[in-house]
Amino acid sequence: MTQPKSGDTFGVVGLFESADALMAAISKVREAGLGKVEAYTPYPVHGLDKALGQRRSPLGGMVMIMGVLGALTAFLFQWWISGIDYPIVTGGKAPTSWQAFVPIMFEVTVLFATFTAGLGMLFFLNKLPFFGHPVLHAKAISAITRDRFGLAIEAEGDAFDVAAAVRALESAGARPIEVISVPSFSGPMTARYLERSLLGIAIACAVSGYATYWAVKLFPVLPPTSHMLVQPRLDPQKPSAFFKDGHGMQLPVPGTVARGYLPLGVTSQEEAATLVNPLAVTQKVLEEGRQAYMNHCVVCHGPLANGVPTLTSAYGAKPANLQAQQFREYPDGKIYWAIVMGKNAMPSYAADLSEDDRWAVIHYLRALQRAQNAKPGDLAGVKFEAGSGQGSEGKAP
Amino acid sequence: MKADAVRLPEELQAPALTAGLVTSGNLDDQVLTFAFKKPPRAWYIGFAITSSVMTLGLVLLGYTAAVGIGVWGNTNPVFWAFAIINFVFWVGIGHAGTLISAILFLFRKRWRNAIARFAEAMTIFAVMCAGIFPLIHVGRPWLAYFLFPYPNQRAVWPNFRSPLLWDVFAVSTYFSVSLLFWYLGLLPDIASMRDRATGKVRKAVYSVLCLGWRGANSHWNHFEKAYLLLAGLATGLVLSVHSVVSFDFAVSLVPGWHMTIFPPYFVTGAIFAGFAMVLMVLIVVRETMDMKNLITDYHLDVMSRVILAMSCLMGYAYLMEGFTAWYSMNQFLHSIFTNYFIGAYWWTGWLTVACNVLIPQLFWFKKCRQSYVWMIVIALAVTTGMWFERFVIIVVSLHHDFLPASWHLYKPTLVDYGILLGSFGLFFTMVLLFARVLPVIATTEMKGILPGAQPHAVKSEE
Repeated sequence: MTQPKSGDTFGVVGLFESADALMAAISKVREAGLGKVEAYTPYPVHGLDKALGQRRSPLGGMVMIMGVLGALTAFLFQWWISGIDYPIVTGGKAPTSWQAFVPIMFEVTVLFATFTAGLGMLFFLNKLPFFGHPVLHAKAISAITRDRFGLAIEAEGDAFDVAAAVRALESAGARPIEVISVPSFSGPMTARYLERSLLGIAIACAVSGYATYWAVKLFPVLPPTSHMLVQPRLDPQKPSAFFKDGHGMQLPVPGTVARGYLPLGVTSQEEAATLVNPLAVTQKVLEEGRQAYMNHCVVCHGPLANGVPTLTSAYGAKPANLQAQQFREYPDGKIYWAIVMGKNAMPSYAADLSEDDRWAVIHYLRALQRAQNAKPGDLAGVKFEAGSGQGSEGKAP
Repeated sequence: MKADAVRLPEELQAPALTAGLVTSGNLDDQVLTFAFKKPPRAWYIGFAITSSVMTLGLVLLGYTAAVGIGVWGNTNPVFWAFAIINFVFWVGIGHAGTLISAILFLFRKRWRNAIARFAEAMTIFAVMCAGIFPLIHVGRPWLAYFLFPYPNQRAVWPNFRSPLLWDVFAVSTYFSVSLLFWYLGLLPDIASMRDRATGKVRKAVYSVLCLGWRGANSHWNHFEKAYLLLAGLATGLVLSVHSVVSFDFAVSLVPGWHMTIFPPYFVTGAIFAGFAMVLMVLIVVRETMDMKNLITDYHLDVMSRVILAMSCLMGYAYLMEGFTAWYSMNQFLHSIFTNYFIGAYWWTGWLTVACNVLIPQLFWFKKCRQSYVWMIVIALAVTTGMWFERFVIIVVSLHHDFLPASWHLYKPTLVDYGILLGSFGLFFTMVLLFARVLPVIATTEMKGILPGAQPHAVKSEE
């Protein structure tokens, strides 16, 4: 096929008033067999494809293939990145578990498929953009994109009978009829113009590339990016201009007391003897006291507080028998003093027992002492519920 | 065409899609001439307002970039506040456009043709507004390209199990696909404008934009196929995008977020908010651009009905959320759900329910579906309500998290409000510009559904 030269006849186009008229004309014009018959319409008209004998669009298949390709691409990309190249364990899932890849697979599938449908249709199937088509340079085009229906008989080869084509369209009812010739390619379509625009694009690319290079270089050191470097903060072991003394770390305010380490307020065992246990005797306090006793005291003083130890006998220690008369008559405050300050070989338990725990342990110790020296009268006033047997336990007062 | 053969009673016949005499020719004369006329004074006033609001937003964006996002109200534990609320809100607004252009196309709802173009344009502008927010929320927007998986000198890849990364893919795909869909629909219309244009520059611009479209049937053949395929794909996409947005919440463990109902609930809310916005803008368009014959009362009525249906679905979703909280026997969920309505932000919870569920019920009355005042009141209520719904979901759920020691009341700053306002400025500036330079009604699609547009002879010839 030879390249059409400007001035050659491209074809003949006739305009119709309605889609019905166009439809009726097509079969007549096609029967004449004068050339390729094509319709130009302002909107898609149903049934024209069949009437013109045009094949079905292959776009569906293309989109299908590209969609599947998109899904595969997205899957393999994520699988390789998350499973092989840079495995990240998230939520205890195996690095190659595929379920979390589905959303992105879906999006990429849609992306590939839609761009195939849109751009494949425009660029590949319809061969657009094309500004030099003869119909675009005909007078008829402004009627066609408005409300007229064009039917064209287009030349195929050199032997094109213009007069016959005009007659065929005329008898089919087209008004007006226009003979279209191949336009002389001037302006935007010349090779010189294309060369120039390519050169322009190349220069633009070079300039913007160079600018981007420097922008990326300079960006981290120019404000506002450089503001990230200004971070007023205290570094350990470093001076600071924030405080007058130039130290970053400051001493606590005089008289600061750590949580749970309130000063005792008494200075000797004798003074301590006057302290009164602030806690009421309740089941809850006794339970707390029991736990504290079992955690800290029982290893030396024994479960019955009689100085028969569970553990420390192995070391030859001689812990006090707290069931002894001396200790049964000891004021609560003196026991408290012993817990806080330690006694003989016993170290201070102030760090291990909070203030409440210390007093709770003392209540529990009193319960142990009373249980080991029980008198029949102790049960007076305790009501036994029939069959329950729960009325009294060893540790209850 | 079968339906034409049987005479249906009057009330069962499909209502006319246009009013008065509309032909292909006068449709073009009506719709395509705006680009060639000087805009009226009202347009300039509107443009001045919206563009100055947009400028305010831009200045505050610059301020945020220069000083850092400490100028916002975000602080422990509410790190997701206005930026994410606005993002979800704007993405949601966009969904109505895709629903109208894609889903209603697949269902062959021919009334969509008149409003599809504007709705699609609003989708694109809304997604543009939405895109700003995650970008500025990353703190250093100039490094936002780290989000994309590209080989880099740090030898680090993004985490593909993170819903936040899914979001990057979903939203960027959504934007490109919407743009493509919109542009394809515009092509033949731009070709019409090219052939109307007289000025040399205009003609050149429209010529290039329409890629030399000439209306050949072999082209229409592929075009129609592509449009159908795009509609099908965009349908899946539109359902997936807000689902993925909801995964940002649902996949986390924050009570009030960790719910299986979130994806459909978010999609419904998105369509709901979007339709309200489309309704509002179309009322203004049909009045100011004199398009009552193309955007008819029937269109407004149908859109009001869609809003009503979506409102009922929203009510169901809220009830379901409450039921889930109660049925889960999870004390954290109980506490969060009661917090929505009796906590420090109790009024936002009630505002959400009132605006989204109660007020739109007025659309049951035909009078409300026909009166501009009611339609605009309800659409404004829905827009407000949907914004506050995201506030409730995000801020109210976050401000009382698992650790009572870090509970904190969130207070937005003026910068927060300014950027939100600025996004509205951007949106309406784009809408105003669009209305002047491109056809606001899909004339090609309208021509195809006008009476007598399609040949009746097709059947008899077969």
